[in-house]
Amino acid sequence: MSSRQLTYKNHTIVIENGHLFIDQKEIEYELDHERQKWSSWYLPYTQYDSLGELAKAIIVDTDEFNA
Amino acid sequence: MALRKDANTLTSSERRELVNAILQLKADGIYDRFVLRHANANMMSIHRCPAFLPWHRRYLWDLEQELQRVSGNPNLGIPYWNWPSGAENASMWNDDLLGGNGNTQGIVTSGPFRQGQWQVVNSSGVASGPLRRQFGQGTSRNLPTVAELEQLLQTTPFDSSPWNMRSEPSFRNRLEGWLSNSGPAYHNLGHVWVGGSMLPMTSPNDPVFFMHHCMVDKLWHEWQLRLPNQSYQPLSGAPFGQNQNDPMSNTPAASIGRRPADVLDSTAIGIEYDQLLPGTPNPTPTPEPLRGTPLTIDTGPITAQISRPGEHDLYRIVVPRFAEYVIETSGNSDTFMTLFGPNSTLNEITRNDDGGVNLNSKITLNLSAGTYYADIRLYSSAAIGEYAISVTSAAEETSTPQLTVDAPATSAAISVRNESDIYRFNVTRRAYHTIETTGPTDTYLSLFGPNDETLLIQEDDDSGSVYNSRIRRILSVGEYYARVRHYSSAATGSYAISVSRR
Ligand SMILES: [Cu+2]
Repeated sequence: MSSRQLTYKNHTIVIENGHLFIDQKEIEYELDHERQKWSSWYLPYTQYDSLGELAKAIIVDTDEFNA
Repeated sequence: MALRKDANTLTSSERRELVNAILQLKADGIYDRFVLRHANANMMSIHRCPAFLPWHRRYLWDLEQELQRVSGNPNLGIPYWNWPSGAENASMWNDDLLGGNGNTQGIVTSGPFRQGQWQVVNSSGVASGPLRRQFGQGTSRNLPTVAELEQLLQTTPFDSSPWNMRSEPSFRNRLEGWLSNSGPAYHNLGHVWVGGSMLPMTSPNDPVFFMHHCMVDKLWHEWQLRLPNQSYQPLSGAPFGQNQNDPMSNTPAASIGRRPADVLDSTAIGIEYDQLLPGTPNPTPTPEPLRGTPLTIDTGPITAQISRPGEHDLYRIVVPRFAEYVIETSGNSDTFMTLFGPNSTLNEITRNDDGGVNLNSKITLNLSAGTYYADIRLYSSAAIGEYAISVTSAAEETSTPQLTVDAPATSAAISVRNESDIYRFNVTRRAYHTIETTGPTDTYLSLFGPNDETLLIQEDDDSGSVYNSRIRRILSVGEYYARVRHYSSAATGSYAISVSRR
């Protein structure tokens, strides 16, 4: 069991047992094992160095969370 | 015909015509439907995969049809963002076309798509604020140079296993931007360089999306012209929707088909560019010399023979419009048929040994307009024998069959590989509805709507009994579409489908 929670720009990011939640909504993501990069349907053109960075980018760059 | 020009070279009246057409589509709600078609597609079906290029080619073609319709200009083409000369000071970013960079908060405040004039929508279609751009903020790289485009165009093959962002070597993957250790991330870089609204799945909110993808499409076109012996890959073996003859995800029916095979030839679907790179040969209107014996549709079989062991006979079939066609042999020989096209004797579409009566071969397939070539040989390279060959068009395409809520199940079958059956049904009051299949086939069910055949709601493989599909959810009033296919793109089988209010 591992759980991590942080608040970023008024949004709650929870990473729990490999699951990512932003404001309690589960965010599907893909891990590129070889390159150790994370990416998601929300941001199809970029990869990130950690799940936390991916979550922050989703908050900043998508109209779902940034609106 | 769509004439696609370098966006920087458009005259002021061409700029006005294009901007007005885009604003008209926005006002009519059509532009936002395009945004949602991209945003709600399964990411792995349209990005990071072979269909990335044909999916976006068809998507641009569809927008172009709409732009031509509202502008009344049948030759209006989407201009391309010529990256090497398209940085911040280029005239395409002037206020008479795209408007420029965002302000310190990233908000676009000038040009036709400025704050107050243009609202972006989120992936649910809800208006969610102004258009944003942050040129060069997300990357330290410059836009690709001409030398880097030349480098890209030497990459072969088209794509390679595992058909994703790790494919290498792969022209598609390099152009898409996942092989950027040795060069720019071409397509991905364009999105990241503009930043803001160009970053998420709703990126078509920024009209530069279409000019960007027009450049991507042009480079694929140039690659095809330079390397005529290379072709789309794969024919089979990739996930459904990626193989050359699979229908592509979130792509509606139109006068051209929805498979990669239907959009391989830009010239054949009416696209012309104002200028190609110096090393690219011009497309020729008849790319292939007329080869093969003409075989006309619906005029009865013609007889022929393989008179020497190992001989091949080639037939030329001119398909006038998108429809289902059956090409088959008859007689006592064990024939083997390979179908090539459109407009190419190199590009194999499919092959068949014994799909017809006895040992005859038979191919049943949807074909777009174009010229196709059927190669006939005998299964045994030592044999000789007679056969007859014919091509027939299937009956007039029927309208989408209708399912009635709570009526008995409708029986059907996936009778050729890659077939998908579409049904529509009406929901008259908001309630839980169950759409399910029964029978011996491993079906895969996709639900679309309301009132839009391209809006994917949910997909299901095996929630029904055994390998059947079942979707149960609350549906509001409207028209819905259920699509059934076989889980395996290579298999066929019978099933029944029903919709009930429970
Ligand atoms: Cu793109």
